[in-house]
Amino acid sequence: MKSATIRTFQTVHTWTGLIAGFALFVAFYAGALTVFHDDIAAWQNPPWRSAQDAHVPISSLIDHLIAQHPETRDDFGIVLPSDDAHAAYAYWQDKDNARFATASEMTAPSDVAGRGDLADFVYALHDSLGLPVVGLYVMGIVSVLYGLALVSGLLIHLPQLAKDLFAMRVGHNMKRLWQDAHDAIGVLSLPFHFIFAATGSILCLFTLTLAALNVIAFDGKLFGSFAQAIATAPTVAASGTPAVMLTPEQLIERASAAALATGVTSFEPDYLHYTHYGDRNAVVEVRGLSQHTLGTYGTVALSGDDGRVLATHVGAKLSINGISNSSLYALHFGSYGGRTVRWLYFALGLAGAFLFYSGNLLWIESRRKRRHVDQPRSTRIMARATIGVCVGTCLGISGAFAATLAATHLGLDAAISQQFACYGLFLAACAYACVRPIPRAAVELLTATAVLMIAVAITDLFGNAAAWSRAWAPGTTSALGVDLTGIALGIVFACLARAALRRARHGDAHSVWALPAPH
Amino acid sequence: MIARCLAGTLLGFPLAAVLLSLLLHALPQGGDAYVIPALILFFPLWIAFMTGAYAFRSGTRAWLTLGSANAVAFFALWLTRQAAGL
Repeated sequence: MKSATIRTFQTVHTWTGLIAGFALFVAFYAGALTVFHDDIAAWQNPPWRSAQDAHVPISSLIDHLIAQHPETRDDFGIVLPSDDAHAAYAYWQDKDNARFATASEMTAPSDVAGRGDLADFVYALHDSLGLPVVGLYVMGIVSVLYGLALVSGLLIHLPQLAKDLFAMRVGHNMKRLWQDAHDAIGVLSLPFHFIFAATGSILCLFTLTLAALNVIAFDGKLFGSFAQAIATAPTVAASGTPAVMLTPEQLIERASAAALATGVTSFEPDYLHYTHYGDRNAVVEVRGLSQHTLGTYGTVALSGDDGRVLATHVGAKLSINGISNSSLYALHFGSYGGRTVRWLYFALGLAGAFLFYSGNLLWIESRRKRRHVDQPRSTRIMARATIGVCVGTCLGISGAFAATLAATHLGLDAAISQQFACYGLFLAACAYACVRPIPRAAVELLTATAVLMIAVAITDLFGNAAAWSRAWAPGTTSALGVDLTGIALGIVFACLARAALRRARHGDAHSVWALPAPH
Repeated sequence: MIARCLAGTLLGFPLAAVLLSLLLHALPQGGDAYVIPALILFFPLWIAFMTGAYAFRSGTRAWLTLGSANAVAFFALWLTRQAAGL
């Protein structure tokens, strides 16, 4: 490649990184936590502190739904809980809005899934920065920029890739060290990043893309072919003859048997989709998760009237469209390989967050004036923004955990507490990073994050002291695991704070990160 | 720089869309069995065109080349549809 072309890609890499880097940091940090969505849910509602409506049977949830909203009987879904301490909730389309409600929320359904659930709040931060509608599109555009940054970054490093990949030049030249760390993480986790750039952009921009492609190149036929491609049940009209439905438990049992008969090793149902409920032609699709296959999400369609299996789209029985759709989600969420893959995704997710953080540090480092104590305005602004946004995100998410704990014990509204704590701490951290001397802001915000994380985990550990000696359930392990991970992450943040302080005191004085020498 | 960026972004989008449409047309039954893989390929393809646009010597060249590629691809799609309609 010509050196002019490499320089162009360098500029592309820098600019896409600068524009998308902050949002990507949030996506990766919150995304790493989202890998343990169900465990965080179990932390909020462990077996000894069930969520509201957790013990309502699914059939009575459906009865409540049909009694309050009879118009939904032709098409509604039931999201099954991850464990016994959580409630199933109904999902349906109300004119132009999606509606969600557990059994007791039927008179006032919510327009967001899992309102007040910490795990769903962290997920919303991950996929849309917690901003409704616009946030999702913003993150979609960010994913496209991320793809561009990834390809251009790879092209820049391609010429010396093999030579430099495993080089870590630890020494006085901090730029080299950060550069080596940035390149090594970027290149070694490249397949993982390609997966996210590709799946993230389509997951976020799907409706817009489908509509655009439909007009541009598919003569208006794409919606039809797409609906057909993802259909997992035959389309049947209502007969008009009423019928008594099999219970959800009976249907799930039959679906599981049909799924396991295809050869998958497991099938954990997580969603039911009903059409024409109460009619002789009712169809129920049972979606479930299978492990150790890329066709993680499978669906069995049954007759609601007599439980006949109408179609099986599971494991080896998935079509090419089905397996592509299923692996799109599986690869993005790391749900295909049990605990091992979840921990791998968690580690790679945090490494990804570090990649964007180190990218900003490199930008600052490469513009450093080596003989001046005063640094350029642009690098000072970048340093403040990086600390405020990145550390502020970590602090804000820890705040959401703290707020959930407080809301549980003080009886506050969980959703409002989480938003108030998370966005409040984030904005406070940004403001703090703007006014404090840069090295002090970095050390203090990192320390605050470490202290908050460890405090939340210790409070929860002691608050549940009685539970740890009681009968052990899977939810108990999850709750304990979240606390221990919180302590471990807190220690990591404390180490980062200590390293930042050391650098501020003893590192090169000609830098935005150095404390002024004492007079 | 900006001209190449716009060429890749604005012309890469329809080009990726038409190429996938052509690819599906070439497969049996209008590619109905491959709709999802094609949709998944869309963003990588668009990003490839965006990146590729920077390899041109000038913005004008990028616009001309990607513009003609679009014209050819749309014409081919039109021909395919005419042939299918006969």
